[in-house]
Amino acid sequence: MSSKVPCSHCHLEFNKSVMIKDENHYFCCTGCKGVFHLLKDEGLESFYEKSKNTTLSPPSQNFEDSSSFNSQSFYDKFVKINRDGFCEVSLIIEGIHCSACVWLNEKVLHKMDGVIEANINFTNNKATIVWADDVVKLSAVIDTIRSIGYNAFAYDSLAQETHANRERRAYYLKMAVAIFASMNIMWIAVAQYAGYFSGIKQDVKTILNIAEGILATPVLFYSGWVFFRGGYYGLRAKVINMDLLVATGATLTYIYSLYITVIQKGEAYFDSVSMIITFVLIGKFLEILSKKNAADMLDKIANSIPSEVKVVKNSKIVACKLDDVQAGDIVVVASGERILLDGEIIKGSGSFDESNLTGESEPVYKSEGMSVISGTLSIDADIHFRAAKDFKHSTLSNIVKLLESAINKKPKIQQMANRLSEHFSSVILTLSLLTFLAWFFWPHSFETSLMVAVSVIIIACPCALALATPVATLVGLGLGASRGVLFKEAAGLEIMAKIDTLVLDKTGTITVGKPEVIKEHIFESFDKKLLYSLVKSSNHPVAKGVAKFIKEENENIADTVFDEFTQIPAQGIRAKLRDIELLGGNKKLLDEYGVRIDFFSQETLFYFVVNQRVVAIYELEDKIKDGIKELAKTMKKMNIDVVMLTGDNESAARKVALKVGIENVLYEQTPQSKAEYINELHSESKSVVMVGDGVNDILALASADIGIVMGSGSDIAVEVGDVVLLNNSIKSLEDAFKISSTTFSLIKQNLLISLAYNALTIPLAMAGYVIPLVAAISMSTSSLLVVGNSMRIRHKWNKD
Amino acid sequence: MDNWVIAMMLGVSIFLGAVALFAFLWAIKNGQFDDEEKFLNAAKFDGEDELNDALKQEQKKASLKKNYKPE
Repeated sequence: MSSKVPCSHCHLEFNKSVMIKDENHYFCCTGCKGVFHLLKDEGLESFYEKSKNTTLSPPSQNFEDSSSFNSQSFYDKFVKINRDGFCEVSLIIEGIHCSACVWLNEKVLHKMDGVIEANINFTNNKATIVWADDVVKLSAVIDTIRSIGYNAFAYDSLAQETHANRERRAYYLKMAVAIFASMNIMWIAVAQYAGYFSGIKQDVKTILNIAEGILATPVLFYSGWVFFRGGYYGLRAKVINMDLLVATGATLTYIYSLYITVIQKGEAYFDSVSMIITFVLIGKFLEILSKKNAADMLDKIANSIPSEVKVVKNSKIVACKLDDVQAGDIVVVASGERILLDGEIIKGSGSFDESNLTGESEPVYKSEGMSVISGTLSIDADIHFRAAKDFKHSTLSNIVKLLESAINKKPKIQQMANRLSEHFSSVILTLSLLTFLAWFFWPHSFETSLMVAVSVIIIACPCALALATPVATLVGLGLGASRGVLFKEAAGLEIMAKIDTLVLDKTGTITVGKPEVIKEHIFESFDKKLLYSLVKSSNHPVAKGVAKFIKEENENIADTVFDEFTQIPAQGIRAKLRDIELLGGNKKLLDEYGVRIDFFSQETLFYFVVNQRVVAIYELEDKIKDGIKELAKTMKKMNIDVVMLTGDNESAARKVALKVGIENVLYEQTPQSKAEYINELHSESKSVVMVGDGVNDILALASADIGIVMGSGSDIAVEVGDVVLLNNSIKSLEDAFKISSTTFSLIKQNLLISLAYNALTIPLAMAGYVIPLVAAISMSTSSLLVVGNSMRIRHKWNKD
Repeated sequence: MDNWVIAMMLGVSIFLGAVALFAFLWAIKNGQFDDEEKFLNAAKFDGEDELNDALKQEQKKASLKKNYKPE
């Protein structure tokens, strides 16, 4: 046995004998060797020091021709001219593994003539490149990125995305100012309060007031601008919202404090002004931060579709832009490629992976005259097919369009706190107005009446109310994360607590999604090594299941190399080693080769034949995940209807449904019909959680109020879902429900606390009993109560 | 203690704080905190070479700007 050594570039380990040796370096392929020498020549070998032992993917050699990046249509679509007149493009760089990859790409691009700026975001792999078009062409930039082992796609940086980024940045700026000013006001306030108890000269107090006033001004008018704007838009829509309460409260307090500072008598409340704005702004920011970015999601989906297909023209195979293919053109697809157009096979045959549409991993065998559907994958078929429609009308393009509209039309359930705050704000503003009138006509001086009215607004400070939801959801998100339940959006926690229907996908969600061996029948002893080598080389899920079973039984099993090896589509595998003939597959394969056996079972069977004699039979089954029965029971207790959807046939669906105790079953569902079913439930005004894992579920996931995805699901499904179950278990699905209902009850408690506090203090304030110190202290107390109550839940959960 | 001293101390300390605040605001606007991962890793890849590269890049941009004639 030769030892394994890592490749000097990509760090993947291989046997020493198969590596390319070069001085004292080893490479797994010429691609890696090329990149290694390129970096050395450019003086960038410190890349390897920076990337440590991160494994990279070896550079690929077959790319689409980069000249398409120079075409006018590409420029019209993706390239922008920036302020200085330079060209700017947004790219997604593929193959970024670590921060050193970002460093390398930026370095190499900066070294190019004519490239002015290259900025790559490590988190989402998006890059902005600015270049002078008369010095260097974009295709050269792309070629450079490819030459060092990465790849780049252009993407249309949507207006939506830039808007989201700008909004987030504006919040950072506003919060920085608000927190800075509030912290400074706090230490000045310490002097104020000390003076309040032990006596303070009026002129010193005025100096402190002026300093506080200066600090509070930017907080109110810069950081607090969002509240003025929000209040104004609310008024225009004839709604009195929380923003208006915050804005009026803070402004009145500010004006009153200015007045106090000028007449040099009484107490100023500048600290309350900045505290209210800062607290509520933080609450608002937490909400924005946890909103997920729909734009990012659509970009990734659009990029997973290649832009070129191979077409037969004048009996030659040429590359053709996907959008230019007409109905009737003949398209060539090689094994391993994705089918992008609908059509009918005119030459060739083989198996296709249709899991994108049906969710079933079992390959489908197709031959001449049968139709192929866009979005499916050719496993081993080299075919020519006649396109029936152009790409715009294909199944794949339809699904993408439906998905976009489903994401944009996602139902929004208004959050409880928002509904509450509308009433709260109008009640408080009315109360304060009434207080003013009552005091003024009782008769008191205008000054005293105004002070009492303002104190009502200050004491009703919506800090606690504004913090109630964000703090509770943050605790909920944390709880979820520690249990492998990832909520992508904070609002999801509240929405999920109001759900009344749970829709489950069968394959991959209720079942494991891969057939596993449940029984082994051995008729004659044989060398397991042969069987292992045979099934290992196949991609068929049944063969994989058998391979996994043998590997588990015997960990150190080695494989042999066969003299002859063929895969027979939809039947199995045939191999030859010296004079031994091996067959592995289903009943059809046995019939084909004239092997006879009588064996009956309900399950999927795998036959292993050595020299025309059946030596072993394996029974396989797609196992049902643990805990699903308990889940069905819990759901019944919580009054949630459970429905199972599957692309599988009726008998298979019924069999699983019976085992797990789910009564409502819909079978033979397409991606579109799954989404339609969810919309139907919506029209019956039901709130729906959809749980799925595959590409065939994405439409349904996007249409549901909450889409829950198994972490092992396809990338796009994980991208679309609102909740990701990292460990794929049913237990964590149950946890997700529990966490959301706990969080929702926490939100209700918090809202109750802040309302109870108001009910207690507002009458006092209206009666004129509230002195400034009490107002300030009780304001912080109510906020602390809300935060403290939220923390309590954490402890309760940790005990369980 | 003189009132003037209090006023001056307040003024000076708030001014110093404000200078730091404005530097921070400038950095946010400049996009230095847009990508937290990269921002944290930047400390590892910092050095004389990086500074020189940044300067070269600036010069390249300036010289290209001078000669650049958009159609």
